[in-house]
Amino acid sequence: MTTDGAASSGASAVAGPVATAGRRRIPETAALMVFLIAEVIFFWIKSPVFFAWDNFLNILTAIAVTGIIAVPGTMLLIAGQFDLSVGSAVAFTGVLMAHYATEGDIRTGIFLAILAGLGIGLINGFFVTVIGVNAIITTLATLAVFRGLAEVVSDGQSVSVTGFDALGTNRPFFDIPVPVIIMGVVALGLWAVMKYTVFGRSMYAIGANPVAARLVGVRSRRAIMVAFVISGLACALGGLILVSQLGSASPLTATGLELSVVTAVILGGASLNGGRGTIQGTLIGLLIIGVLNNGLVLLGVDPFWQDVARGVLLAAAVSFDQLRIRLGAT
Amino acid sequence: MSFRLQTRGIRKSFGGVEVLHGVDLDAPAGSVLALLGENGAGKSTLVKILAGGQPPDAGEILVDGTAYSSLDPVSARGLGITMIFQELTDAPTLTVAENISLGQWPRRRGIVQWGELRRRAARILDELEVELDLDAPVSTLRIGERQVVEIARALSGETRCLILDEPTAALSHQEATQLFTFVRQLRERGVALIYITHRLDEVGLIADRVQILRDGDEVLTGEVAKLDRRELVSAMVGRTVDDLRRPDAPALRLSGPPALRFRHASSGDAFADLDLEVDAGEVVALYGKIGSGTGEVAEAAFGLRPLSGGTMELDGEAVTLSSPTKAIDAGVGLLPADRQRQGAFMVRPVAENLSAPSWPRLARFGQLITGRREAAAYRRWHDELHIRSRDEPGQVFATLSGGNQQKVLLGRWLECRSRVLLLIEPTRGVDVGARQEIYRSVRSLAAGGVAVLVATSDHEEVVQLADRVAVMSRGAILETLEGDDVTSERLAATAGR
Repeated sequence: MTTDGAASSGASAVAGPVATAGRRRIPETAALMVFLIAEVIFFWIKSPVFFAWDNFLNILTAIAVTGIIAVPGTMLLIAGQFDLSVGSAVAFTGVLMAHYATEGDIRTGIFLAILAGLGIGLINGFFVTVIGVNAIITTLATLAVFRGLAEVVSDGQSVSVTGFDALGTNRPFFDIPVPVIIMGVVALGLWAVMKYTVFGRSMYAIGANPVAARLVGVRSRRAIMVAFVISGLACALGGLILVSQLGSASPLTATGLELSVVTAVILGGASLNGGRGTIQGTLIGLLIIGVLNNGLVLLGVDPFWQDVARGVLLAAAVSFDQLRIRLGAT
Repeated sequence: MSFRLQTRGIRKSFGGVEVLHGVDLDAPAGSVLALLGENGAGKSTLVKILAGGQPPDAGEILVDGTAYSSLDPVSARGLGITMIFQELTDAPTLTVAENISLGQWPRRRGIVQWGELRRRAARILDELEVELDLDAPVSTLRIGERQVVEIARALSGETRCLILDEPTAALSHQEATQLFTFVRQLRERGVALIYITHRLDEVGLIADRVQILRDGDEVLTGEVAKLDRRELVSAMVGRTVDDLRRPDAPALRLSGPPALRFRHASSGDAFADLDLEVDAGEVVALYGKIGSGTGEVAEAAFGLRPLSGGTMELDGEAVTLSSPTKAIDAGVGLLPADRQRQGAFMVRPVAENLSAPSWPRLARFGQLITGRREAAAYRRWHDELHIRSRDEPGQVFATLSGGNQQKVLLGRWLECRSRVLLLIEPTRGVDVGARQEIYRSVRSLAAGGVAVLVATSDHEEVVQLADRVAVMSRGAILETLEGDDVTSERLAATAGR
C-alpha cells in the first residue's frame, strides 16, 4: 500500500466516463414506427388473412378501450403522475350503469356512471394534490376501494343489460365501430390539448421539474387535479363501452387494465421520470401490442407462448428505443 | 509519531484549462493550516486531490515522506486522510450511531454488531464532549449537530489528517464556536488539519499557518501571527481589483416610491428587522456568505417565504405575496440559485423554458398557445441576450452551456415584462465571458426601468454589477455601500467582520 504503483492504479478507477447530455435528432416516434411496420410486414408474410381492412378493424376494436384510457394515462405520466385505479374504475362505473339500467332507466345509469368517473378522478386528485400523497400509493388504494365497491353494487354477480348495444357495436362509417371512433376523438382531442394549450405545456413542465414549474407560476395542483378528472371520465367512458359490447357488466371486468395502460404508455416513449412523451407515441405503442396479439392468434400460437412473446417484444421495443436515444446523442 | 502531509508541484487541468499551476503545500501534525482564496482559486480542487477524489496531472503527494503520484478515496482513507465536505454527506434516515460508522459498520460473519456500533459512537461523541441521542435519525437534528456527526464519522477511523471545506458556511455563531473547539481538540491530539474558509475572522481564531491561492498559484504562505488582515485581503483579491469596472451611475432617477421596499421585515430564522429599498432603474446587491440570509430575502420577495414581521411594498403599496404565481402577477421575477434543480426544465426545448411564465399572456383566450408564438418569444431574446445556441427554438435546454442556460432563464423574465427582478447567485457555474454578458444584460434591463435585487456571495459580482450594496451577515444588514465605496476590499473586510 505504500508503493507508488498501487496508489496510482487505484486512482484510475476514479476517472469515469463523462455523462453526455441527450440530444435528439431523430423524431421521437420514428423508431417505434419502424418497429410497427416491421411487425406488420412479418405477419403479412406469415398469414394470408392478416392484411385486410376487416382484420385491421379487429385490431383497432381490441385496443379501443385500453386506448381511451391510455391517452389520459400518457398525459398523467408526462406530468410525473400515475393512475393505477383505472381497471377498478372501469368495472365500478360499468356495474353501476348496469345496476341502474336493470331497474328501468338506461339514461340514469349512464348519467351515474359518468358522475362516478368524475368522482373517482376528484378523489384521486384530492389525495394527490391537497393531501400530498404520492399518486402511485393513492391510486393503489382507490384501485382496491373501487374494485370492492363494484363487488358490493353487483353483489359479486354479473349484471346483464339489454337495449344498450349501440355504443359498443354500431358501425356508422366504413364499417368502423363506435369505440374505435371514440378512441380516435379522445386521442385527437388530447393530442391538441397537449400541443396547443397552456394546460398541456404545464403538464410537461410539472413532469420535467415540479420545483421550477412552481417558480414560473404554473398552478400545478389545479392542473394535476384536472388530469385525474379526465382520467376518471375516460374510465367511465371505457366502462360504458365494455357494458355495451358485452351486454353485461361484471365486477371482475378490466382486471389488470392498469398494466396494459402503463405498458402502452411506456412503449410509446413517455419517460417514467416525467416531462417526456407524446399521445401519438402511445397510439403507436398500443398498435404494436394490438398487432402482435392479433398476429399471434392468426398464426395459431399457443396462448401460453403468446404471453412470452409479448414480454419479449416489449423488452425488444424498449431496448430499440434506448438504442435510438444513444445514437441520437453525440 | 510526527505525521506530515505535503504536496510538491501539483498541477491539474480541466478541459484544457490549467487550474493548479504547480502548488506546494505543507500540513504537519498538530497544526491548523488555513487555505484561503477566491471562488475558483483552486482550493477545492487541491484538497480533492489530497482526499483521493481526483488524480493530479503532475506533481506528487507526500505522506510521511512517502511519495505518491496520486491517491484514490480508499487509499487516502487508509493513510488516515479524511475530508468533511461543504455539503452534508450523511444518510438522513439512519440514526446518529449508524451514521458515525457509515460504511464501516462492525460486522461478524456479515451480521451487524449493534452493541459495538453504539459503543463506538458513544465513545467518539464522548471524546468530542457532545451529547446526542444515538438512536435519533440525523434528519431530525439541527444542521450544526449533523455536522458534528460528520466530524465524529471522520474520527471513527484512524484519522491523521482532517480536511474541512468551509465547515461554518451553514452554521450559527454558537455552532461555529463549538466547531472551533473540536478543531483545537484535534490539533492537541496531533491531527494535521487543513481548513478552507472565506471568513478572515476564523483564520485569526484557529489557524496556525495560512496559505493563499489565487488563480491556481500559491501567492502567500506564512504564520498567521505575523500577517495582518490587510495583507491577507490584498493577497486574496490581488491584481484583479484593477480589472473590475464599476457600472455607470444610473440615469436620472424617477421620483416616486421605490419599486421594492422592505420595512422592518423579518422571516423566521432567516432574517430580522430588515429595511431595504430598490428603485426602478437601480441594481442593488445583497452581499453575504451562504447562510447570511441574502437568498432568503429574495425568496421572501417572491412569495416563497412568508414574512413573520414587517411589511413588503411594491411601488409604495403594501403586498402580501403568498405564492410565486401571485408574485409573477405583481410583476416580480426570480432567478433561483440552483439552475438545474429549481430553474430549468432540462429535457424540454429552450423556447418552452423561456416562455413558461408568459404562457398566460402569449396564449389566446388564456389557453391556446402555438409553438410558433413560443418560438417568436425565444427569437425576441436570442440575439438581445447573445444566447449562443443552434438558434433553434426546439433545441433541448440541457444541451446549452451553463452561461447560455442562465441567459435563457433571464430571458424568461424579460419576456414576462417583470418590473422587479430578483437574482440569486446569477453567475454561479458560469464562465467568465458569459458572466460579462449577463452583467451587461442586467445593466441594460435596469436602464430600461427594471428594479434589480441581486443576492450574491461573490464580491467581484457586486463591484461590477451593483449601484448600491447591503452587506449581510447572519440575517441582518451590517452596512450599506454606494458608488466608489463599493470595492472588493471594503466588501471582504465588512463581511469578514
